[in-house]
Amino acid sequence: MFQKPFVRSLLFMLIAASFVLAGCAQPAAPTAAPVEPTQPPAAVEPTQAPAVAEPTQPPVVAEPTQPPAAPAEKKVTTFIWTQEFDTLNPLYTNMWFSTITHQWWNCWAWDFDEKNAPRPVLVKEIPSVENGGISEDGKTITLKLREDLVWSDGTPLTADDFIFTYEMTMSPKNAVAATSPYDKIEKIEAPDPQTLVMTFKDPYAPWVGTLWHGLLPKHILQPVFDSDGTLDKAEWSRAPTVGCGPFVFAEWESGSFARFVANEKYWAGRPKLDEIFVRFVPDDASQIAALKAGDGDLGTFIAYPDMPDLEAAGLTLVKTFSGYNEGYYFLLDPAKGHPAIQDVKVRQAIAYATNRQKLTEDLLLGKTVPAATMWDATPYIDPSITPYPYDPEKAKALLDEAGWVDTNGDGVREKDGTDLSFIYGTTTREIRKDTQAVVQQELAAVGIKVELQNFDSDIYFAGYGEGGPAATGQLDMFEYSTVPQFPDPDTFDFLCAEIPSDEKPSGTNWEGWCDPELDALFQKQATEVDFAARQQTFYQISKMIYDKVYWLGLWQDPDFYAVNPKLLNIKFSGVTPFFNIAEWDLK
Amino acid sequence: MTRYIIRRLLQAIPLLFIISMILFVLMQNMGDPLATMGGRTVTKSADRERLSRQLGLDKPIYVQYLYWLIGNDWAKADLDGDGIPETPGTRKGVLRGDFGTSLLNRGVPVTKVIGDRLPNTLLLMVTAELVIIVGSMLIGIYSALNQYSTADNIISTATFFLYSLPIFFFALVVMYIFAVNFKRWGLPYLPTVGMFEPQVGKTPAQVAWHMVLPVATLSFVYFAAYSRYIRSTMLEAMGKDYIRTAKAKGLPRPEIIYIHGLKNAALPIVTVVALDLPFLLGGALVTERIFAWPGTGRLFLDHLARNDTAVVMGLLMMIAVAVVLFQIVADVLYAWLDPRIRYK
Repeated sequence: MFQKPFVRSLLFMLIAASFVLAGCAQPAAPTAAPVEPTQPPAAVEPTQAPAVAEPTQPPVVAEPTQPPAAPAEKKVTTFIWTQEFDTLNPLYTNMWFSTITHQWWNCWAWDFDEKNAPRPVLVKEIPSVENGGISEDGKTITLKLREDLVWSDGTPLTADDFIFTYEMTMSPKNAVAATSPYDKIEKIEAPDPQTLVMTFKDPYAPWVGTLWHGLLPKHILQPVFDSDGTLDKAEWSRAPTVGCGPFVFAEWESGSFARFVANEKYWAGRPKLDEIFVRFVPDDASQIAALKAGDGDLGTFIAYPDMPDLEAAGLTLVKTFSGYNEGYYFLLDPAKGHPAIQDVKVRQAIAYATNRQKLTEDLLLGKTVPAATMWDATPYIDPSITPYPYDPEKAKALLDEAGWVDTNGDGVREKDGTDLSFIYGTTTREIRKDTQAVVQQELAAVGIKVELQNFDSDIYFAGYGEGGPAATGQLDMFEYSTVPQFPDPDTFDFLCAEIPSDEKPSGTNWEGWCDPELDALFQKQATEVDFAARQQTFYQISKMIYDKVYWLGLWQDPDFYAVNPKLLNIKFSGVTPFFNIAEWDLK
Repeated sequence: MTRYIIRRLLQAIPLLFIISMILFVLMQNMGDPLATMGGRTVTKSADRERLSRQLGLDKPIYVQYLYWLIGNDWAKADLDGDGIPETPGTRKGVLRGDFGTSLLNRGVPVTKVIGDRLPNTLLLMVTAELVIIVGSMLIGIYSALNQYSTADNIISTATFFLYSLPIFFFALVVMYIFAVNFKRWGLPYLPTVGMFEPQVGKTPAQVAWHMVLPVATLSFVYFAAYSRYIRSTMLEAMGKDYIRTAKAKGLPRPEIIYIHGLKNAALPIVTVVALDLPFLLGGALVTERIFAWPGTGRLFLDHLARNDTAVVMGLLMMIAVAVVLFQIVADVLYAWLDPRIRYK
């Protein structure tokens, strides 16, 4: 049986086999970033406030390019995604890593450029009152589609596809991710294949930021819906082989990768790249290693401490503002909340006591700035508003005024027998834990004691019905990154009707506070189709939230992309990041 | 023996029921699947209500368990929100082979979600297990035969050192050295992440090349466990009387070590390996995550984080069934290998 020489030869065979394997396997052609630091392309500046919805020029249609004659090498770019898409069907997911692929293989009626201004894609021009696209009363919006639109299989794309997408969204048989804003449409019709007329019950101001984020091909999915009775199980959601973007879906292997190849039939001309290869790498450290080794050309959601490392390795970091601002919400519910938090002077004291400028410089390496309101860097914020400055003396004075004093010398203020001590909660992200530690110290310096709590995301964001800590009023001050319906300023967080309760467990007003004046302003802005009027309303809204510290901003939360300099013509939008993917090229 | 096996299998059934109930209750209390459906923002209240109704999440926990077990095609659900259940369900339940559809990958059957990843996991885990077993055997036998020699001490120290390293640390260190830095220094380098290079395609050579670092990570850390075990059982076996007899009879040394020594020492190892095998199905959570290997370990983490009860239950039940089966296999194997053991 086992003789010693046999074992020896077995060992030799194992070692030999590993050498053979090492020799045989083709290491990939090095796609490394060049060793010498190359001239990085001009970094895109932080995106400007989104412009008004003016009628913009339709994009210059690219000349149909000649297919390259026998290309020596396919132009394949590799993107690294730290989260795998759950589904590719636009109706069934809100996952950012899925929706940002729409500009590759699906199509929005209009997307947004690097200044976050709307840019027509399927329509000839953005509808407005001047060009007749929006009716005088603001309730009817008419879209005029281009005549040359085709799906990737050659079938013409018409207004019928829009109506089909609407019907599928609203059908109770489809468990879609979101029905808004289509649930606000009263009537939708297509008088001819290139015209779509939508009539809303009330004038709907946020239409430009919320409508038509992806289309379903009627000729493929109508038969599926008819035979299955639902689109929930459609194959197309996993493999959308028919699309309307510059690229076409090719393959998606669970957990591993997804491929999108150039759409030869794209109505705006074939893209320059041949293929986009998306690799799923869930670990942040692995993503950084892969980017540095050149195993990926683009990565996103980079942690701030990793950025200098990547820049040293030759990658360019592009910053784009997507409407997110990190900040504090306060539990204002008189029944559940801490009495101090309900006093506006105490909240203002918290604002003055925290040095948010230093926080962004130290923890965020100066790559972003403190946030003043939820609408920073948009035209909807009152220009006189700037973030609360750091003034601990003023904080102490305000607390004294509010009646919170430290009578027993334990370092914590009290009033009527209650300590000024409350719970500050957030998720388990590293940057947030660091912020908690810093803020805890700063508040302690003015006599406020905070207890820190951290939760996993799926628990932290759970609703009232599921016992979520913020929703059920267990946290006095809760932190997360919030966004309105960017680029639209609409938000639901302060509506009285959204206060969660046993009758309405799904409510999203977790502060639990009804300010009738603020509520009325929010109801008003949703119907103001005229930009100037809406802007004025938001000036009032932002000022009120700022003065009463209903929300306290920590920092503006931009998106960062780490890009290999061999990718050319790159631009990013805060709303539709890959809006010009058709022009991207490889050196 | 047959009666023993049948008895064990029958005992397993109520056990599996209890396991499934406990796991289901734990899953339900772990968080809110709707919490993360808003994407990067909080899920809107109107969507929360509608989805809760459409996905059957508003039902009490025992009803949800019942639907999971025996399906809901005998009951009606209220899909349009008017309060009147009108649509018959489509699920057949686990007892009829339908594990449901994923909440995360909407509409995809759980069996497909898991089935897509299982081959990758098995490839990685079985290879790693083989490397671990062969390596540990060689190390353990050598250590036992040369007890307390310098080489034995060095090997023991090295394996314990590796065993005490957190696996993610080891994984990242080898990745940085052999993949990132070797490339930078112009040496032949290993890939960082994934199963293959996109430019080359998914060839066996590519997959084998990409498997080197993950397998190395898994094996090096676990060499210590098995090798120490083999070392101690070998020492015990080699000290027995029948070995002394064999030596006295003048049998060749390899025959003494392997046929008389190892064969007896290996019995407990067989049991240990048989009990470890079902956990291969669960994949290596940390290693798969770091090397972006598309296996069931990562699947479990991703779906657990988003509270996808159907897929997590499917994975857990698969492992539970495998554990129960392999325990029976281990007992039977032990009895088969050791004639002294007989079960009633």
